[in-house]
Amino acid sequence: MAFWNTMDPAQKRYVIRTNLFMLGYVAVNIAAIAGAFDPIVGSRAGIVLGLAVAAPIAGQLWATLALMNESDEFVRMLNAKRFILASGLAMTLFSAWGFAESYGDAPHAPGWLIYPLFWGLFGLVSPFLKSSR
Amino acid sequence: MKNTLRNLRTGRGWTQEQLGQALGVSRQAVNALETEKHDPSLDLAYRIAALFARPVEEIFENPHG
Repeated sequence: MAFWNTMDPAQKRYVIRTNLFMLGYVAVNIAAIAGAFDPIVGSRAGIVLGLAVAAPIAGQLWATLALMNESDEFVRMLNAKRFILASGLAMTLFSAWGFAESYGDAPHAPGWLIYPLFWGLFGLVSPFLKSSR
Repeated sequence: MKNTLRNLRTGRGWTQEQLGQALGVSRQAVNALETEKHDPSLDLAYRIAALFARPVEEIFENPHG
Protein backbone atom coordinates (compact mmCIF):
# COMPACT_ATOMS: atom_id res chain seq x y z
CA MET A 1 0.00 0.00 0.00
CA ALA A 2 2.91 2.34 0.77
CA PHE A 3 4.27 1.68 -2.74
CA TRP A 4 0.84 2.45 -4.22
CA ASN A 5 0.81 5.84 -2.47
CA THR A 6 4.17 6.80 -4.04
CA MET A 7 2.85 6.28 -7.59
CA ASP A 8 1.55 9.18 -9.64
CA PRO A 9 -1.99 9.00 -11.15
CA ALA A 10 -0.70 7.85 -14.57
CA GLN A 11 1.16 4.92 -13.00
CA LYS A 12 -1.91 3.97 -10.93
CA ARG A 13 -4.09 3.98 -14.06
CA TYR A 14 -1.50 1.79 -15.80
CA VAL A 15 -1.47 -0.76 -12.95
CA ILE A 16 -5.29 -0.91 -12.89
CA ARG A 17 -5.58 -1.24 -16.69
CA THR A 18 -2.82 -3.87 -16.86
CA ASN A 19 -4.41 -5.95 -14.12
CA LEU A 20 -7.82 -5.81 -15.78
CA PHE A 21 -6.45 -6.88 -19.17
CA MET A 22 -4.27 -9.60 -17.67
CA LEU A 23 -7.23 -10.85 -15.64
CA GLY A 24 -9.11 -11.37 -18.91
CA TYR A 25 -6.08 -13.00 -20.53
CA VAL A 26 -5.56 -15.42 -17.64
CA ALA A 27 -9.29 -16.18 -17.27
CA VAL A 28 -9.74 -17.17 -20.94
CA ASN A 29 -6.54 -19.22 -20.87
CA ILE A 30 -7.49 -21.06 -17.70
CA ALA A 31 -10.92 -21.79 -19.14
CA ALA A 32 -9.28 -23.10 -22.33
CA ILE A 33 -6.79 -25.27 -20.39
CA ALA A 34 -9.66 -26.59 -18.25
CA GLY A 35 -11.40 -27.72 -21.43
CA ALA A 36 -14.23 -25.18 -21.50
CA PHE A 37 -13.65 -24.58 -25.21
CA ASP A 38 -12.80 -28.15 -26.26
CA PRO A 39 -15.86 -28.46 -28.54
CA ILE A 40 -14.62 -25.62 -30.76
CA VAL A 41 -10.85 -26.29 -30.66
CA GLY A 42 -9.68 -27.19 -34.17
CA SER A 43 -12.77 -25.68 -35.83
CA ARG A 44 -13.30 -22.26 -37.42
CA ALA A 45 -14.87 -21.08 -34.18
CA GLY A 46 -11.54 -21.84 -32.55
CA ILE A 47 -10.05 -18.95 -34.55
CA VAL A 48 -12.45 -16.62 -32.74
CA LEU A 49 -11.24 -18.13 -29.47
CA GLY A 50 -7.66 -17.38 -30.50
CA LEU A 51 -8.58 -13.76 -31.23
CA ALA A 52 -10.41 -13.51 -27.89
CA VAL A 53 -7.32 -14.72 -26.02
CA ALA A 54 -5.10 -12.26 -27.90
CA ALA A 55 -7.42 -9.24 -27.44
CA PRO A 56 -6.21 -8.45 -23.89
CA ILE A 57 -2.65 -8.35 -25.26
CA ALA A 58 -3.65 -5.48 -27.55
CA GLY A 59 -5.34 -3.87 -24.55
CA GLN A 60 -2.23 -4.20 -22.42
CA LEU A 61 -0.06 -2.68 -25.16
CA TRP A 62 -2.54 0.21 -25.35
CA ALA A 63 -2.20 0.63 -21.55
CA THR A 64 1.58 0.83 -21.95
CA LEU A 65 1.32 3.43 -24.74
CA ALA A 66 -1.22 5.39 -22.67
CA LEU A 67 1.23 5.39 -19.74
CA MET A 68 3.87 6.89 -22.03
CA ASN A 69 1.41 9.50 -23.25
CA GLU A 70 0.40 10.47 -19.71
CA SER A 71 3.96 10.50 -18.27
CA ASP A 72 6.41 13.41 -18.19
CA GLU A 73 8.88 13.83 -21.04
CA PHE A 74 11.76 11.95 -19.39
CA VAL A 75 9.73 8.86 -18.41
CA ARG A 76 8.03 8.88 -21.83
CA MET A 77 11.35 8.96 -23.68
CA LEU A 78 12.89 6.29 -21.45
CA ASN A 79 9.95 3.89 -21.83
CA ALA A 80 9.79 4.54 -25.58
CA LYS A 81 13.47 3.59 -25.91
CA ARG A 82 12.92 0.43 -23.84
CA PHE A 83 9.78 -0.46 -25.82
CA ILE A 84 11.48 0.00 -29.19
CA LEU A 85 14.61 -1.93 -28.20
CA ALA A 86 12.63 -4.80 -26.64
CA SER A 87 10.30 -4.97 -29.70
CA GLY A 88 13.24 -5.02 -32.08
CA LEU A 89 15.04 -7.73 -30.15
CA ALA A 90 11.87 -9.83 -29.82
CA MET A 91 11.17 -9.58 -33.57
CA THR A 92 14.79 -10.37 -34.44
CA LEU A 93 15.02 -13.38 -32.11
CA PHE A 94 11.63 -14.76 -33.09
CA SER A 95 12.32 -14.29 -36.80
CA ALA A 96 15.69 -16.01 -36.38
CA TRP A 97 13.96 -18.91 -34.64
CA GLY A 98 11.40 -19.10 -37.45
CA PHE A 99 14.15 -19.32 -40.06
CA ALA A 100 15.92 -21.93 -37.94
CA GLU A 101 12.67 -23.94 -38.09
CA SER A 102 12.36 -23.47 -41.85
CA TYR A 103 15.95 -24.18 -42.78
CA GLY A 104 17.10 -26.31 -39.86
CA ASP A 105 15.47 -28.70 -37.49
CA ALA A 106 14.75 -26.29 -34.63
CA PRO A 107 11.64 -27.35 -32.67
CA HIS A 108 8.47 -25.38 -33.39
CA ALA A 109 7.86 -22.31 -31.23
CA PRO A 110 4.20 -21.18 -31.08
CA GLY A 111 3.57 -17.58 -32.15
CA TRP A 112 2.10 -16.49 -28.82
CA LEU A 113 5.56 -16.83 -27.28
CA ILE A 114 6.56 -13.46 -28.77
CA TYR A 115 4.47 -11.62 -26.16
CA PRO A 116 6.17 -13.02 -23.03
CA LEU A 117 9.47 -12.83 -24.94
CA PHE A 118 8.91 -9.10 -25.53
CA TRP A 119 8.17 -8.40 -21.84
CA GLY A 120 11.09 -10.54 -20.72
CA LEU A 121 13.37 -8.52 -22.98
CA PHE A 122 11.76 -5.27 -21.81
CA GLY A 123 12.70 -6.19 -18.24
CA LEU A 124 16.17 -7.26 -19.34
CA VAL A 125 17.06 -4.06 -21.22
CA SER A 126 15.43 -1.61 -18.77
CA PRO A 127 18.26 -1.49 -16.17
CA PHE A 128 20.72 -0.63 -18.97
CA LEU A 129 18.72 2.27 -20.37
CA LYS A 130 18.74 5.09 -17.85
CA SER A 131 19.33 8.09 -20.10
CA SER A 132 16.83 9.70 -22.47
CA ARG A 133 19.60 10.38 -25.00
CA MET B 1 23.42 19.09 -20.51
CA LYS B 2 25.37 20.75 -17.69
CA ASN B 3 23.21 22.75 -15.34
CA THR B 4 22.93 24.29 -11.89
CA LEU B 5 19.59 22.74 -11.04
CA ARG B 6 20.81 20.79 -8.01
CA ASN B 7 22.34 23.91 -6.46
CA LEU B 8 19.19 25.92 -7.14
CA ARG B 9 17.00 23.21 -5.63
CA THR B 10 19.08 22.62 -2.51
CA GLY B 11 19.43 26.39 -2.12
CA ARG B 12 15.69 26.50 -1.55
CA GLY B 13 15.77 23.44 0.68
CA TRP B 14 13.61 21.39 -1.68
CA THR B 15 13.70 17.66 -2.28
CA GLN B 16 13.66 16.28 -5.82
CA GLU B 17 10.07 15.22 -5.17
CA GLN B 18 9.07 18.77 -4.22
CA LEU B 19 10.77 20.29 -7.24
CA GLY B 20 9.10 17.68 -9.45
CA GLN B 21 5.69 18.64 -8.07
CA ALA B 22 6.39 22.34 -8.66
CA LEU B 23 7.37 21.61 -12.27
CA GLY B 24 4.72 18.98 -12.96
CA VAL B 25 7.24 16.20 -13.60
CA SER B 26 8.31 13.04 -11.75
CA ARG B 27 11.13 12.80 -9.19
CA GLN B 28 12.93 10.58 -11.73
CA ALA B 29 12.82 13.40 -14.26
CA VAL B 30 14.35 15.86 -11.78
CA ASN B 31 17.07 13.35 -10.92
CA ALA B 32 17.77 12.74 -14.64
CA LEU B 33 18.10 16.49 -15.23
CA GLU B 34 20.48 16.94 -12.29
CA THR B 35 22.66 14.00 -13.33
CA GLU B 36 22.67 15.10 -16.99
CA LYS B 37 20.84 11.99 -18.17
CA HIS B 38 18.09 14.07 -19.78
CA ASP B 39 18.21 17.21 -21.90
CA PRO B 40 15.00 19.13 -21.17
CA SER B 41 12.58 20.21 -23.84
CA LEU B 42 12.40 23.96 -24.47
CA ASP B 43 9.07 24.01 -22.63
CA LEU B 44 10.50 22.34 -19.50
CA ALA B 45 13.62 24.51 -19.58
CA TYR B 46 11.44 27.64 -19.60
CA ARG B 47 9.27 26.25 -16.79
CA ILE B 48 12.41 25.74 -14.69
CA ALA B 49 13.67 29.22 -15.55
CA ALA B 50 10.32 30.76 -14.59
CA LEU B 51 10.21 28.83 -11.30
CA PHE B 52 13.64 30.05 -10.23
CA ALA B 53 13.18 33.48 -11.87
CA ARG B 54 16.43 33.21 -13.81
CA PRO B 55 17.28 33.16 -17.52
CA VAL B 56 17.48 29.70 -19.11
CA GLU B 57 21.14 30.18 -20.07
CA GLU B 58 22.02 30.86 -16.44
CA ILE B 59 20.64 27.46 -15.43
CA PHE B 60 21.62 25.39 -18.49
CA GLU B 61 25.01 25.64 -20.14
CA ASN B 62 24.73 26.14 -23.90
CA PRO B 63 26.62 23.15 -25.39
CA HIS B 64 26.97 24.98 -28.71
CA GLY B 65 28.47 28.24 -27.63
